Amino acid sequence: MSEPARAGYRGYIGSRPVLGNRAPQAVQNLVVRDYCQRSGLQYLLSSVEYAMPRCYMMLNEVLAELPRLQGIVCYTLFMLPEAADRRREVYRRVLAAKATLHTAIEGQVLRTAEDIGRIEDIWLVQQALARAPKTL
Amino acid sequence: MTGGFLSNEDRILGDAFLKDGYIIRAVEDRASLDRIQARMAELAAAQLKLDPPDDPKAFLDDIHSQVGPDKLNAFRLAMIAGINSEPWFRRAYYSLAEKTLASLVGNELAMQRRANLSIQLPGDESSLLPAHTDTWAGDSPFEVVVWLPLVDCRATKSMFILPPAANAKAAAKLSDYNDKGVEALYRDYEADARFLAVDYGQFLLFDQNLIHGNRVNAEKTTRWTFNCRFKGLFTPYADKKLGEFFEPITMRPQTRVGLAYKLPEGFQ
Repeated sequence: MSEPARAGYRGYIGSRPVLGNRAPQAVQNLVVRDYCQRSGLQYLLSSVEYAMPRCYMMLNEVLAELPRLQGIVCYTLFMLPEAADRRREVYRRVLAAKATLHTAIEGQVLRTAEDIGRIEDIWLVQQALARAPKTL
Repeated sequence: MTGGFLSNEDRILGDAFLKDGYIIRAVEDRASLDRIQARMAELAAAQLKLDPPDDPKAFLDDIHSQVGPDKLNAFRLAMIAGINSEPWFRRAYYSLAEKTLASLVGNELAMQRRANLSIQLPGDESSLLPAHTDTWAGDSPFEVVVWLPLVDCRATKSMFILPPAANAKAAAKLSDYNDKGVEALYRDYEADARFLAVDYGQFLLFDQNLIHGNRVNAEKTTRWTFNCRFKGLFTPYADKKLGEFFEPITMRPQTRVGLAYKLPEGFQ
């Protein structure tokens, strides 16, 4: 029996600042839609992460939905959990579901386990930069 | 409630709102409601290349015979763009609940710039809004929602809400559902959820800090409902900001005076 067709790519946007920056939800949606259009991905209405710090309930909802989706398009990579073990659990669930994870701002794509190192390098450097001097 | 200063009518309405978290009333301007419904039916017919219907309510109720789930979101977005481009629409929408908003929220208000529209086809699983509060997703706790059906909405064709007592219990346990998800939250509090019967000719005004959402529409006809947020103009804003999401609609004269006022300068 063939597998049922999977729907497209679920947008994932947020309602709290990321790295101290805020983008209106309408703008986040525009960026995600535009990314999907340019990448030939079928966009599905975005889930909006809750405002409470360190809450990832909506991300977990989308991850649970993954077997019926082709993937997720996050507004930005830095919406993923700050804790490395929780991020790695996200990557694991995406790959286990044979789905892909895209980040619209950075244009990063997680398709295979080999992509994890590249994405984590960006994350780790960003976290180090947060503790580095801010002026030249 | 504020002792002694509110009218008896305001006090009774306020007590009912605080007790249940919502109120359902007849619209305050029936002609505006009929105008909105008729225009929506015209827009839908035009989008589907059909003649304008003689019976807007029956046409909207039966839209699932014309639009399938695969085309629904594009159709819905076209409807939202169409009605929000009507210059009279937001004033008409406000007039449906004007006195109730003044009583429960205030007389200097900000209104959502673009009303949202929900179209829920019978049996369609693609348009679900799981259990949530708007505040969790970036709305201010000072906002209320005026929810307006264009058809009769009952049972699963309507929305559910948790009354304040059940909501307080659920919200206090929310972090327990971080991994289990909001569907598990709904299941645990399903017995407390109230599906609100709101017929055409009525509006629902509810506290969006309470957990609410919808389920698969198991009725035979299609749900058409608007939702639009209102808040006190000078109450705190959250992620939905003044200007980009809200606009002032009823600023009063002395507020304008105060905003323009400058203390005399030039002292050395």
